[in-house]
Amino acid sequence: MGKWIRWWGLGVFVVVAAILGCVWIFFIDGWVKYLIEQAGTEAVGARVELDTADLTLFPAGLMLSRLQVTDPREPMTNAVEIANVTMGLNGLNLLRRKIIVEEMTVEDVRLGTPRAISGAIREVTLQEKESEMFSLDLPSLEVPDVKNILEQEDLETIRLIESLKADLKTEKDTWESRLKELPGKAQLTEYKQRVKNLKKAKKGGLKGILGGVGEVQSLKQDIEQEIQSLKGAKKEFEEKMAFLRTRLDQLKTAPKRDIQHLQAKYNMSPEGLANMSQALLGGQIGSWVREGAEWYERVKPFLEGAQALGSGETGPEVHKPLRGKGADVHFKEARPLPDFLIRKTKVSMSMGVGDLAGTILNITTDQPTLGQPTTFTFSGDQLKGVKSVALEGAFNHVVPADAKDQMTLQAKGYELSNLVLSQDKKWPVALSSGLGDVKMNVEVKGQALTAHGSGHLRNLHLAAGREGDTSPLTKAFSSAVTDISELSLQANVAGTLEQQDITLSSDLDRILKKAAGKMVNDLAAKFGAEIQSAIAAKIAKPMQDLKKNFSAFDGIAGDLTERVTQHDGILKSLLEKTLPTKSLKDLPGGFKLPF
Amino acid sequence: MIKLLAKLLRVLNSETQPGQISLGFCFAMIIGLTPLLSLHNLLVLLLVFIFRVNLAAFFMGLALFTGIAYLLDPLFHQLGLAVLTALSLESLWTSLYQSVWWRLEHFNNSIVMGSLVFSIGLFVPTLLLLNLLIRRYRQHVLAWVHKTKIMQVFKASKLYETYQTLSAWRNV
Repeated sequence: MGKWIRWWGLGVFVVVAAILGCVWIFFIDGWVKYLIEQAGTEAVGARVELDTADLTLFPAGLMLSRLQVTDPREPMTNAVEIANVTMGLNGLNLLRRKIIVEEMTVEDVRLGTPRAISGAIREVTLQEKESEMFSLDLPSLEVPDVKNILEQEDLETIRLIESLKADLKTEKDTWESRLKELPGKAQLTEYKQRVKNLKKAKKGGLKGILGGVGEVQSLKQDIEQEIQSLKGAKKEFEEKMAFLRTRLDQLKTAPKRDIQHLQAKYNMSPEGLANMSQALLGGQIGSWVREGAEWYERVKPFLEGAQALGSGETGPEVHKPLRGKGADVHFKEARPLPDFLIRKTKVSMSMGVGDLAGTILNITTDQPTLGQPTTFTFSGDQLKGVKSVALEGAFNHVVPADAKDQMTLQAKGYELSNLVLSQDKKWPVALSSGLGDVKMNVEVKGQALTAHGSGHLRNLHLAAGREGDTSPLTKAFSSAVTDISELSLQANVAGTLEQQDITLSSDLDRILKKAAGKMVNDLAAKFGAEIQSAIAAKIAKPMQDLKKNFSAFDGIAGDLTERVTQHDGILKSLLEKTLPTKSLKDLPGGFKLPF
Repeated sequence: MIKLLAKLLRVLNSETQPGQISLGFCFAMIIGLTPLLSLHNLLVLLLVFIFRVNLAAFFMGLALFTGIAYLLDPLFHQLGLAVLTALSLESLWTSLYQSVWWRLEHFNNSIVMGSLVFSIGLFVPTLLLLNLLIRRYRQHVLAWVHKTKIMQVFKASKLYETYQTLSAWRNV
């Protein structure tokens, strides 16, 4: 036995194992720090930094100090900065490669703190601030030169006149050639001659009468066919004319449409005042919605992590292999737990308005395995600048195909100050101070986003307009806005996370419409009258020409009518005068003609 | 390189039992072919130190097998995956999956499982083959080699001088 065993080897092994253990303990903190920074940076798309990470084994726990998450859109600002994160780890599960934290404490969370060095990991394209691009579409109060407008504009009325004129010419040509093809004077003369011939045949006694019966029958059929053909052409002509006259009638309303179009185009319509709240506040709210959607898109892959990785509930599941690292095959667990779970997180946030405290339950990348959604509640009372704030919501991905995330935010007595509502050069608007009660519900289902917000703003002090403003409209607006002390606001967001449609409404619309609506209406009426008379003058001659073109069709109509009448006449004459009906009555046995 | 070759020759030509050399080499095969930071390697290391295996053979084998392990990764992955997804073994793996120690061993990784199955499978055949080869070498080749002209030249070379120096150090 002694030949094969060297007991001192056990001592060497213990020493080697102790050295390896010491090295592990010495380097593990740096390794954890590196892992957190690496994973965080990859997830956020900007640098995530940690001052220190301290992993303890007995009891198992982790403490992180000064975690900084750079705002990817502003690399010199931290989106979030956390002073301390403390968590107790479940040691047994850690050995099973599962990070299970029963309780985590997140202290002193700050938003939007400045950074000493840029946290960009790739070049950031600076977006032009939306407020700078923002321009109010105010109704114009200067009546534009109507003559110039009519020279430049492509009027619908003129287009319709030209089109009708061209069609009338085509129709006229068509009917003139049709008239040549239809039975006319030549055919009428021929029929008269045939009738005359039949009269002669009557004088040839009974034999002549009986021979003429067939000829009369044939002549009658010929004339009737001609009459049919003429009547059909006449009907077709009348229908065409009716259609052309309808177009002429429609043309009479075209100038009105032109006037409306020009009023809208040159901003002389009072409709421009219908949704000023959308114009004033829509840009800012849209920017908040887009920013929220961007952050949600970053968090979403972690909420759906289990779908991407596979839960291992239905048998062995193979993860995608990596070169040199192989693939992990997962089997069903007796008591399944997610690979990552923080059951309870207590958060204290230091905001500009004061301190907020909150609790987040069940932070995990694998909700289907846990069977519970991630929920959160935050609240703060008697804060600086706001009476109370409450935020609660849930990210429910327990059934991935029916994932639904929702959030409710309620703020009471929020102090508003120095908010720029419009940077428009013609009409700047700023909110100096005020108080607001806001309630907002947001729901995301799949990619569909819906949000509804309502706000009641009071004790408002608004400043509007610029010095030396000569525009009566903006002066009226400014006067109305500065008198506003209370407003209610409704906002609805619908669409997807990529593309949202925001609709806003508030008392502001009514107030502004009241303040300047009459002014804009009067101007619009004046512009309308001017443009109407100018259009009437412009279309007078073309309309006269059109009427003349229509009168040319009267001749064709008369001609068609006359032809029908003449053919009717010859048929009548054939029936009444040409046939020897009286002589036939005297025939024995009551002989009857076959027509 | 010269020193390594000299060491090999010294080991082969020494009085060390063939079993000690081949066992050291086979243990090195397990640690070298499987991922280094695996729980089973700690056990193998304990065995290497406790059993009177030839450490020189172990370290030389470790260098050799660590080098070729990366090239065999695709084979290990395929083998491990086949073993882990075999229906007949599913209940075994599922029961092991519930154990903390087996999870720590990371047995459910295709490369860990593949390389472990591969190296354990080759352990006994390699051990026996190496034993046989070392014995044959000592019985036939070594005596013949000593008589060859090349060996005569070699004995007069710097390499042999190094070998002798090492032998002298060992004897101190």
